[in-house]
Amino acid sequence: MARVLMKGNEALGEGAVIAGCRYFFGYPITPQSEVAEYLARRLPQVDGVFLQAESEVAAINMVYGGSAAGARVMTGSSGPGLSLKQEGISFIAEAELPCVIANISRGGPGLGGIQPAQSDYFQSCKGGGHGDYRLIVLAPSSVQEMMDFALLAFDLADRYRTPVLIMSEGMLGQMMEPVQVREPVTERYEKPWATTGCINREPNIVNTLHLLPTELEDRNQHLFSKYARIAAEEKRAEMVMTEDAELVVVAYGLLSRVVKKAITEVRARGVKAGLIRPLTLWPFPDTHIQKCLDTAKLFLTIEISMGQMVEDVKLAVNGRVPVEFYGRIGVIPSPQEIERAIMAVAERGGLA
Amino acid sequence: MGNIAIFSGGFGSGKSEIALNYAMEMSRYNSQVVLADLDMVNPYFCSRELEEVLQGHGVKLAAPIEMLRFSDVPQVPAEVIGFLGMEENEMILDVGGDEVGSWVLGYLSGHIRTRSYQMYLVINPFRPFAASLEGIIELRVSLEKASRLQFTGVISNPNMAAGTEVADIIAGHQQVTAYAEKLGLPMKFLVVGERFYEPLKAYGLDVEVKPIKLYLWPEWL
Repeated sequence: MARVLMKGNEALGEGAVIAGCRYFFGYPITPQSEVAEYLARRLPQVDGVFLQAESEVAAINMVYGGSAAGARVMTGSSGPGLSLKQEGISFIAEAELPCVIANISRGGPGLGGIQPAQSDYFQSCKGGGHGDYRLIVLAPSSVQEMMDFALLAFDLADRYRTPVLIMSEGMLGQMMEPVQVREPVTERYEKPWATTGCINREPNIVNTLHLLPTELEDRNQHLFSKYARIAAEEKRAEMVMTEDAELVVVAYGLLSRVVKKAITEVRARGVKAGLIRPLTLWPFPDTHIQKCLDTAKLFLTIEISMGQMVEDVKLAVNGRVPVEFYGRIGVIPSPQEIERAIMAVAERGGLA
Repeated sequence: MGNIAIFSGGFGSGKSEIALNYAMEMSRYNSQVVLADLDMVNPYFCSRELEEVLQGHGVKLAAPIEMLRFSDVPQVPAEVIGFLGMEENEMILDVGGDEVGSWVLGYLSGHIRTRSYQMYLVINPFRPFAASLEGIIELRVSLEKASRLQFTGVISNPNMAAGTEVADIIAGHQQVTAYAEKLGLPMKFLVVGERFYEPLKAYGLDVEVKPIKLYLWPEWL
């Protein structure tokens, strides 16, 4: 297939089309708007529907309806818009409706700003809405992965009947890189639960209200047995030079590419550093982190936030070695800045 | 006497990088060069980020006021109309992508048409909606309608960002040349990253080749 030059937001939109998504319900917000703009032009070409809803709340409930009817559907927004969608996301998770939600994130809290940030990690991974539920959360780091993870997201969503969130820094949505356009996905999952019209069968009912206490607990047990299966099967991380690493850096998304550059420099200065880059933020790849504990004397988490993923790193490390943190807000630090931060931690820890 | 050069085109076709390089090139011949950043569509990767570099070259930047540069509030820098009225100014207009980006030109067109202007359609054939002649014709019509101005030439900008190879430039430029012929617009120049300038000489392309430095692209990518 063709190689084209795309913005991350466009690659995500095209990835959804390739995955067979024909319905996008959204509401504009910088820096996500190009996902909507791209699909507004693209979906009519493939007999799909782009609909700009009257609000984020409406958009997420259209996703609920579209998914309940068995279609591959998607919505997108950025931090503040995702906050508005949380009620619907909780409903969708409970109803076990497969769909893809994109967060092309910006800096918060509040209206914050439109500069790059990763400060929606808690919102994405720790249950932004009410009740006990999980989302599968994917963190792409390149424009190619914006496309590839869209394909992966729709597959995981259908396979596990669960909403999947793609979390990207705003800058990854905005920047352009060459993309190898993938082949269309034609494999489909059976959806016997979908509300497709009840010819020759009893009606299917999609409902999230469970007033009987036993029924409510059963539902939660059912969801959590599914989440346990996802956690067992889907943890993903990229490991870079971790085999002998004494200082293991953990970073995700576009930022991880800057960290990778810095790690190479730090290695040249004699520090045995490595990188773990989670591809799934939930399920968090704690097993990948634990694999490094034979050689690791120190962990360093780098985020464009005040420190959110670092809590999961600490849980995974479970007190066996120190876990340090370095963070910025609203800027992607340069490789030189990260190199300095890693060297400072290495020196304090007696590793340099 | 200065001219007005307008860089217009599809979203992400390379207008800002070309406008920045063009402004700095013009500053060698004219002491009154003004670059107007009229991108109202999207505040990312805009020429307003290069104010200091431009000043270093003696280029004046007309851009949204400081506190609105990272807002989503479209703002036409008020001084642009004044600058357009000064005939000794070499004006370079960098507008946002697609039809929506050209509306600002429609607003300013009365001040532009009174002087001689060049409006360039910047084409990167590797962008998704520039892959077919139909797409390019649709773009041209919508941009001319929105701007109330006529294109006077095409700028060929075939690239794959950091993934560009010489073969991409050759094939892409051939495609843009074919578009220009069908559009009945002259090919003004071919833009290439600096590192391709020398290697391309061997191909004897029948077009002026302008090497450009990328100012808006982060060096670590």
